[in-house]
Amino acid sequence: MTDFANGLRLGQKVPDLSLPTYDPVTDDFGTFSMATQIENKRWTVLFFYPGDFTFV
Amino acid sequence: MGCDIITVSTDSEHVHLAWRKNEKELADVKYPMAADKTGETSRAFGVYDPASGRALRGTFIINPHGVLLNADISFYNLGRNIDELLRRFKASLYMARKTNEVCPSKWKDEGDATLKNPGAQMVGKVHEALEKK
Repeated sequence: MTDFANGLRLGQKVPDLSLPTYDPVTDDFGTFSMATQIENKRWTVLFFYPGDFTFV
Repeated sequence: MGCDIITVSTDSEHVHLAWRKNEKELADVKYPMAADKTGETSRAFGVYDPASGRALRGTFIINPHGVLLNADISFYNLGRNIDELLRRFKASLYMARKTNEVCPSKWKDEGDATLKNPGAQMVGKVHEALEKK
């Protein structure tokens, strides 16, 4: 992922990132993966925020 | 709307769970909350602040091929407007279907004026093209 050290640019393919999640719907831990999103042909909105227990 | 919203911060998934269960404002939140503990993903998207180990308020729209189409980043102290995010998301979906159209700044929803086949003939004529609708 070091190729994107200066930030992804628009029009670039997002690297195959994978992150642990807490999913409120299943009330369980899971994994978010870009590869799965592409496989399932899903649009994705990534919504970054500074921290839990603050305003979003 | 055929889209998955994932929230991301550098907190762990365990803290996400605790916050979701304690904060009543989050009672209706149904989005998976992702844990970018190393900050690697935040760095890739250019939102990582090494001074605090936190991610700035960034919103990114990615199409089903995994291509980044839209980016918006604010500093800590400015909250985001969900209507503008929706507008950009709807426009991205619309333009994915109608590849010969572009959505100008006032476009809000399907049915609003778009510009068709913007090319040399439209140079200096955008006003007239928008009026036609």
